Amino acid sequence: MEKVSLIFNKKNCMGCHACEVACKQEHGLGVGPRLVRVLEKSPDYVPIYCHHCAKAPCKEACPVEAISRNEQGIVLIDNDLCIGCRECLEACPFGAMQFEDNQEIAVKCNLCFHRLVDDKRPACMEICPTGCIYLGAKKCVAAQFEKTTP
Amino acid sequence: MPKVEHVKTVCRSCHGGCGVIAHVQDGKVIKVEGDPESPISHGTMCAKGLAITQLCYHPDRILYPMQKTNGDWKRISWEEALNTVAARFKDVIAAYGPESIIVGQGTGRDYESHFSRFGNLLGTPNILTAGHMCYLSRIGATLTTCGRHPAIDYANNPKCIVMWACNPQWTNPDEYKGVSFWRAFENGAKLIVIDPRKGFLAKRADLWLQLRPGTDAALAMGFFHVIIDEELYDREFVSQYIHGWDLFVERVRKDYTLKRVEEITWVRQDLIRKAARLYATTKPAGIHWGVPTEQNNNCTDFTRIAVGLMAATGNLDAPGGNVFHVPPPVRKVAEFSAHTELSAEQAKKRLGGDQYKLAARMTFITPKCAWDAVLTEKPYAVKAGYLIGTNPVVSRANAGEVYKALKKLDFLAVQDFFLTPTAELADIFLPAGTWLEQNHVAENWKFHGYVLARQKVVEIGECWQDHKIFLELGKKMGQQWWDSVEDALEWLLEPTGLTWEEFKKKGYLHGDQRYYKYRENGFSTPTGKVELYSTLFEKWGVDPLPKYTELPESPVSQPELAKKYPYILNAGLRTPTFFHSANRQIPWLREIRPDPIVEMHPATAEKHGICEGDWVWIESPRGRAKEKAKLNEGIDPRVIVAEHGWWYPEIKSCDHGWDVSNINMLTDNSHESMDPVMGATNLRVLLCNIFRCEED
Repeated sequence: MEKVSLIFNKKNCMGCHACEVACKQEHGLGVGPRLVRVLEKSPDYVPIYCHHCAKAPCKEACPVEAISRNEQGIVLIDNDLCIGCRECLEACPFGAMQFEDNQEIAVKCNLCFHRLVDDKRPACMEICPTGCIYLGAKKCVAAQFEKTTP
Repeated sequence: MPKVEHVKTVCRSCHGGCGVIAHVQDGKVIKVEGDPESPISHGTMCAKGLAITQLCYHPDRILYPMQKTNGDWKRISWEEALNTVAARFKDVIAAYGPESIIVGQGTGRDYESHFSRFGNLLGTPNILTAGHMCYLSRIGATLTTCGRHPAIDYANNPKCIVMWACNPQWTNPDEYKGVSFWRAFENGAKLIVIDPRKGFLAKRADLWLQLRPGTDAALAMGFFHVIIDEELYDREFVSQYIHGWDLFVERVRKDYTLKRVEEITWVRQDLIRKAARLYATTKPAGIHWGVPTEQNNNCTDFTRIAVGLMAATGNLDAPGGNVFHVPPPVRKVAEFSAHTELSAEQAKKRLGGDQYKLAARMTFITPKCAWDAVLTEKPYAVKAGYLIGTNPVVSRANAGEVYKALKKLDFLAVQDFFLTPTAELADIFLPAGTWLEQNHVAENWKFHGYVLARQKVVEIGECWQDHKIFLELGKKMGQQWWDSVEDALEWLLEPTGLTWEEFKKKGYLHGDQRYYKYRENGFSTPTGKVELYSTLFEKWGVDPLPKYTELPESPVSQPELAKKYPYILNAGLRTPTFFHSANRQIPWLREIRPDPIVEMHPATAEKHGICEGDWVWIESPRGRAKEKAKLNEGIDPRVIVAEHGWWYPEIKSCDHGWDVSNINMLTDNSHESMDPVMGATNLRVLLCNIFRCEED
């Protein structure tokens, strides 16, 4: 199966945070874990999100192999296996790994896997008012990105 | 798993209009999504709208009517609540007359028609809205200048967009959501941004004009100077359709040389020239302007000059310019409002009506007149209030005075979702429904050519949609209303030939849009032309030509005061998560923005030993507020930019910290500081000083 990827075109991120709330709603998350997040350094906005790395540092750091990468390249965490040691939070260079205090486990973006299966786009991408979030087969996304970034 | 039902409706978490698909399970909304078929929002939504389920089902939300006895709130029935309000109002009317009751709303939950009808049938001319300084002031100014509000026509792709003091992608878009702007921008439109602060749009603009806050009217005159000087105007239009052109040209030439405009606005002459040329020579071009231009003493004049720019460049009612949208044939808000039912005798008693003539014509008052009447009982006593969806102790100028006045009322009823600091001052609390609990022919008051079907998705607790509360309370007062909310909607829809049920299925109606309508009938003004010289203002004894008037509190107008308060405070910085004083209790939104933010240039911060994240006191001659510092190089070092609308729902005492971080502790509402015809309060620009806050 072709690998998929998510990418933010930072130039077009206008800091509205709609992606954050859409993500919270989609995944039923309360205050705390932010699977996508936009930092404001006005006039610049910096999205923090999981890059689903090929050699995922979170996966490599996990001592109990709770993190895996599926055949589409989506890096997933198994809630049942996670022991809450936070090694993956330390390892992630983007700050994308998050912690859920109530269950005491790490949580992360799963690219809205359940929506992809239904042929829908991830919640953050679906809602973005400037359309600055792209998803698709890796090559297509790269091409799209080049088109919109001078 | 119980079935999930999808219901289409329309958001109203700000001024609203975005299409929503609500997911309902077991009688509860579990999720909302954007409606891709919406002609307004095309499937997008913002953080505020997406967080609606956290508002609807918030543990602090009041779900039944309440009465305050001996300082404690106690649950009562709707029958008891409405009877109490009606009885108290009848007592006040018998003793003092209906004008002694103030009926007030905030930015509204799309019930303007019902709100005004209730006030008119009650017989009070004292209708308090945000209209004196927000949107309706624009409508008033455009009505007197060109007969109707000319909204930018994104649907026809303007080739040049002037984004004047507005950030529709973040906040409070009226006719147009950010997405309509974005589509036109992505389509290659040139962008001119006029903003004292460098935001996302300023960064993306072809030209960014960083003006001294509040000097928009002078800058607009600067645009005109270039357009006249270089003869970039549409000769034919000007000679046929502008009334007072020669006199206006004389004023521009005499009083607004580019050198003078640069001195006033801080914008370099060459930049003004470039921007004016770009706007005047790119066809079509549209101006999209926002409330900062209205929330000061130049309120009416700025809009009048802006309309002049649209007219002189031939962009008025031209596709892709600023156009008069044709509404669908539903009955209008004005007709529903029953303005003709208010007797001339009562209308004459409108507080401040003689002074603020354009506000009176628009049927509202400026709040200062209400507070004066309560506190001084002059020109007569105001004894009771009915406030709907408004939190004036946080959102109105000179908050300290507002608080005192509301406290002094003999009787106050408040209709809202939560016990806000304003609601805590009330005697009766009426629990209102959110947009998910509302049936309405929505957006009927806007000038964008659409009406939208907002349909009730759920009912929550004993909350009623505002429209139903007005209707039932109105009936208790002996007023003429319909049997039900839906019956009133049928009446609104009657001219379209659709029933409410049919309209709901259709989702929206769009007017039959035509352009250049003035070529047939002229403009809807006394002269039939665009009145740059206003015949109405002339009759009123007000300067008939628009101009820039120096701000009442600035380093220019008050150099002595500026020694103690050396910075220009630009208050009311908008956020994408809050709508004025709303949403501070919504967890998803508060997590994004936990603290009130005051932005300043790093050099300014350094001067005061302030670091990013420090609490800062902002102080004006009237009071102070505490906000958290954020450094921003895109702000002039002489300017301080602060958020508005802050109170702390998490503070459980009844004041909820209304005066801690409330920027309106600093703002002025003196008559001298207001727009002379509209009574617009200056919520935006004043003098201040800053101090690092030593305690936490």
